[in-house]
Amino acid sequence: MYAYIIRRLGFGALTVFGVSILVFFIMRVMPGDPLTAIFGPEGMTKLTEEQRLSYMEELGLADPLIVQYFRWLLDIASGEFGRSFFRAESVGEMVLRRGPLTAQIAILSVILSWVVGIPVAIISALRPNSVADNGVRFVSIICLAVPGFWLGMLIVLGLLFGFGYRAPLTGAALFENPITTLQIIIGPAFVLGIGQAAYIARMARSSLLEVIREDYVRTARAKGLSGQLVVRLHALPNALLPVITLSGILLGFVLAGSIPVERAFGTPGLGYAMFTAVNERDIFVMQNLVFLYAVVFVLLNIMVDIIIAWLDPRIRYQ
Amino acid sequence: MTENLADTPIVKTDVAPPSLAVRVWRAIAHFARRSPMSAVWGVIAIAIVLMAVSAPIIAPHDPLKSNFRTMQKPPSAENLFGTDQIGRDTLSRTIHGSRTSLIVAISAVLIGTTGGALWGLASGFLGGRFDIISQRIIEFLQAFPDLILAMAIAMALGSGTTTVIIAIAITRIPFGGRVIRSVVLSLKEMAFVEAARSLGASNLRIMALHILPQCIAPYLILATTHLGVAIIIEASLGFLGVGIPPPTPTWGNMLSDALNAGLVPPWWLVFFPGAAITITVLAFNLFGDGIRDVLDPRLRGSV
Repeated sequence: MYAYIIRRLGFGALTVFGVSILVFFIMRVMPGDPLTAIFGPEGMTKLTEEQRLSYMEELGLADPLIVQYFRWLLDIASGEFGRSFFRAESVGEMVLRRGPLTAQIAILSVILSWVVGIPVAIISALRPNSVADNGVRFVSIICLAVPGFWLGMLIVLGLLFGFGYRAPLTGAALFENPITTLQIIIGPAFVLGIGQAAYIARMARSSLLEVIREDYVRTARAKGLSGQLVVRLHALPNALLPVITLSGILLGFVLAGSIPVERAFGTPGLGYAMFTAVNERDIFVMQNLVFLYAVVFVLLNIMVDIIIAWLDPRIRYQ
Repeated sequence: MTENLADTPIVKTDVAPPSLAVRVWRAIAHFARRSPMSAVWGVIAIAIVLMAVSAPIIAPHDPLKSNFRTMQKPPSAENLFGTDQIGRDTLSRTIHGSRTSLIVAISAVLIGTTGGALWGLASGFLGGRFDIISQRIIEFLQAFPDLILAMAIAMALGSGTTTVIIAIAITRIPFGGRVIRSVVLSLKEMAFVEAARSLGASNLRIMALHILPQCIAPYLILATTHLGVAIIIEASLGFLGVGIPPPTPTWGNMLSDALNAGLVPPWWLVFFPGAAITITVLAFNLFGDGIRDVLDPRLRGSV
């Protein structure tokens, strides 16, 4: 087991290294002048060549790329992650301030997706091709097609016109102000959770259908166990393994999906910061946030692999 | 009859066919019988494509022309979907939006999924060091959630149609590569590959003539699924302000404009573009599911 974990972490470190090079490459070796972001296309024309060079020097953009890359690695190691063009806060501080809200949204959405997805999948799988099954499948297909941010906008509008309700806009700490926080995160978490629930239900259904045909399930039934107990004790635990893997991968996609969804709800989380950075063309913030998102995504995948290996000895002895 | 057709691989080169038109017609009839629901959505998907092609003819108004006498008006007989903040007709903009959306999605899939698939074919078949390096690169690309990778690339390259296509295409590469590679890995152990090799066929010849045709079914399934994903990514990029810039109407930047207009966006500016996205994605997804069920039911759930 430890050998497995170490091997996975080793590959993970390699991936993170590759990711850092890829992000740096995308952000720096791009056409266009990073100074356009600060001065705007019109301001750029008024800048003299000397001014331009001195600004580039000041921002450290005039150095050779390899020097810039290693300086960035040092910034990451220091935990500061570089600075915004426009704000005094370092990216590290911004992540600490805004990250928790997005993390809460992501976790709540995962919980929602299991609470909705698994029971639905059980109902579906126990009576395949029944009316309930077909209904569930149709609804899940629709859920996969609806863009989350659009659903979010509709919910905001619907609540406003139907009930005159608008979620509070201020950021809030979970423990100081649990009710306000819940009001802020419930909307995005619902939208993102529904999207995941559709995937979870689909996967759990097909996985259950497969497991139900296995010999040990037939044995359990033959020895006289009731149908409900067979599902709960024998079929479900085994059927859930691929669902756990999927859920971990989906969590990474939820972090990305929360960017447009947070914009739709006006939630002051990390996703909104990403939206702001991309619109301000703030390459330093973007570079660091993209890198951080990728690292979190890689770590989530490793975590899921380890959990699966822990639950399923067949994998770790391979 | 039906069972025979079900077993027929979609590309069959050695049997003399009745005629191309007859074969195509039979394939369509077979598809409609096997999954009528998907056939209906397939028709809707084709209708959306036709709408995009003929947008300038069927749109009742000029999508870019503002009319200051009808600013932000709710749906009426004159403007069925209402008008936006500067009096442009939302219906015409939604119709024209399908154009951008489909051009971007189809090009991104044609470049990205196809490129990835060919790469996966080569790396799966050739194996060795090429395969190991390819797998690492694909892993790096897959270390990003696709929307974030697309955002970063679109921002770095600057906004524009080509940029958005490239950004989405790059996010499609790893998926195409992975799926096709695994198909190829199982194919290359089969007897017909060995037979071809023993007859002295080169790697390139085996890949092009023996392996490639077998990959077409999984590729088609993958490509239709990716169309839906690409449409959603395009809309998200537009919504986040890194997509195709205004005034060109896209469903994403229409929703973004609605949100920028004021604190409370009018419902018709929110509802119609989003409904267009949903229906289009639904049509392509269900059409894709149908294609998958007919071509290869074993792939259910795996692609």
